[in-house]
Amino acid sequence: MPSRPWLWLAMAGVLAALAVISLGTGVIDIPARDVMRALQGSGDPATMSIIRNLRLPRIILGALVGAGLGMSGGALQGTLRNGLAEPYLLGVSGGAAVGAVIAFAFNASNAGIIALAAFGGAAVAVVLALLVARAAGSAGRGDPRTLLMAGVVIGAFANAVIMIALANAPPNTIRGALWWMMGSVADSSWSALPWLAGFIAVGSALLIYWAREIDLLALGDEPAAALGVDVESSARRIYLLAALLAAATVSAAGLIGFVGLIVPHIVRAAGIRSHRPLIVASGFVGATLVIAADLAARTIRPPGELPLGAVTAVLGVPFFLAQLRKAA
Amino acid sequence: MLRRRFVSALTLLLAASCTRDAVHTAAEVDDFGDPIVVKSAPHRVVSLNPATTDLIFALGAGDRLVGRTHWDVYPEAAIKVPDLGSGIRPNVEAVLGAKPDLVILYASKDNRAAASELRAAGVNTLSFKIDHIADFYHAARTIGRLLGDSARGARVADSVERTLKRVRAATQSLEKPTVFWHIWDAPLITIGRGSYMNELIDIAGGVNIYGDMRETSPAVSIEDVLKRNPQYIITGPEGSRKVSKDSRWAEAQAVKAKRILVVDTAIVGRPSVRLGEAAESLARLFHPGKIN
Repeated sequence: MPSRPWLWLAMAGVLAALAVISLGTGVIDIPARDVMRALQGSGDPATMSIIRNLRLPRIILGALVGAGLGMSGGALQGTLRNGLAEPYLLGVSGGAAVGAVIAFAFNASNAGIIALAAFGGAAVAVVLALLVARAAGSAGRGDPRTLLMAGVVIGAFANAVIMIALANAPPNTIRGALWWMMGSVADSSWSALPWLAGFIAVGSALLIYWAREIDLLALGDEPAAALGVDVESSARRIYLLAALLAAATVSAAGLIGFVGLIVPHIVRAAGIRSHRPLIVASGFVGATLVIAADLAARTIRPPGELPLGAVTAVLGVPFFLAQLRKAA
Repeated sequence: MLRRRFVSALTLLLAASCTRDAVHTAAEVDDFGDPIVVKSAPHRVVSLNPATTDLIFALGAGDRLVGRTHWDVYPEAAIKVPDLGSGIRPNVEAVLGAKPDLVILYASKDNRAAASELRAAGVNTLSFKIDHIADFYHAARTIGRLLGDSARGARVADSVERTLKRVRAATQSLEKPTVFWHIWDAPLITIGRGSYMNELIDIAGGVNIYGDMRETSPAVSIEDVLKRNPQYIITGPEGSRKVSKDSRWAEAQAVKAKRILVVDTAIVGRPSVRLGEAAESLARLFHPGKIN
């Protein structure tokens, strides 16, 4: 980590600068001086309310979600030795969406209940994928591809369930559910943030602690086993944690695509290979990407907002393709 | 209106050029451009739009209804009419199963196929796009005529029109407060110029802060609502609870001054026979003590 201090400084600097710009920008532009004053709790009450009750919580939520997804993706890609692995591909998104849509279908309008339902759905899908992979793996000996396939299949099943649940729902329920599925940090509030922050802090600390194991797993099953890793249980443990980390972000902000997939690639392109710095850097880059995407989502076409998950994909995919070209 | 006239001119041309089916004298068309055929008064009517269901009851023909959508629950008697499901992309088999001699659809693109299928099955089918108040007058007169009581159709349309004129006259000289209509919270949906609700606000002597948006129900951001800072927020009972306890709304002047107006969706929810009542109740809310 200390080998490239400038790189870490740059990452932190960009994140901080973007957060400040984002605080001052919106349908009402607020000069930096007034932003600072509002943060300290003085100045015009309307400005203060916009900064402290609207923009700050959503920027913090965006940072947490981006960091959680980035770190989750970094850990999964190493563990499963697959650059396509990302939390959403492994059934997390599908499971969470099923949970949320069921809550919507039962007319739940409380954000906390929808978040809990989403988290529950994601957790069920993740555990299901693990069980399927384990059942299949007893023949094929813990091939990480089995886990990927199990996740994809469960995701497809989840999509079918969602279609059925929404087939005859009233328009506002459908609009609410679609909006949720496209991801948004617009409804962030201070009461929900501590839960997510706590979850992400614990989850990322554990991932960082297990990063050495991920390094070994990334070498391949045989070499990892030769180096003393209990490959199967270790991979399962990391997979479960990474997936739950993503599930927590999904429950707070809906489905925000591509962050978990592209962020680790960006980090590796910057020359970071070892998983401890890679996971930390993925957190920074993920947070930056989501804050930037949210800034775009809420300023491109006022007074409406664009779906954040679509903006992250639109911003992320060209970047990802450029990386692929460079790598090829 | 212009488009309707254009479409009817087009149909006239088409009718003139094809001699096969030139029996109807008036080349009047519905909002899909299909000819309106007035046969003997229908006795089994399926209405797949909450506004027309409400209207048919007001025309005294509620007992002829043999089908409605899941959402047509006004007036209360409508609940007893068989529920045929959705009014958008309706289940054509279920509609045919009700053996109707007249089907009334909402003329949205999604229903184009259903209208053609029903017509192909030989069922007189009419589609009305009732989005604005004028659309309602037109529908009331046309449906009244179809049901064999033109006079009653005209009476219903006229009575709504009279009430609306009276409300407009009463509010004309009053100061017009700015208003935000909170329809849904996540995403935050309001109403734009495309909705009859925008007209209702105007008639009731208010100014919709999103009257500049062309859409019927645009999604907007809280920040933008705060910027436009409406004097009143209109919403339902649940929306009112949400807005008043949500800290993000706390600095809005309407919230600080406790000017959140709760409206009854039973009255304002459809562009139909209760439009007059809806405008009246809004006017009373916008101008307390000044409307009798």
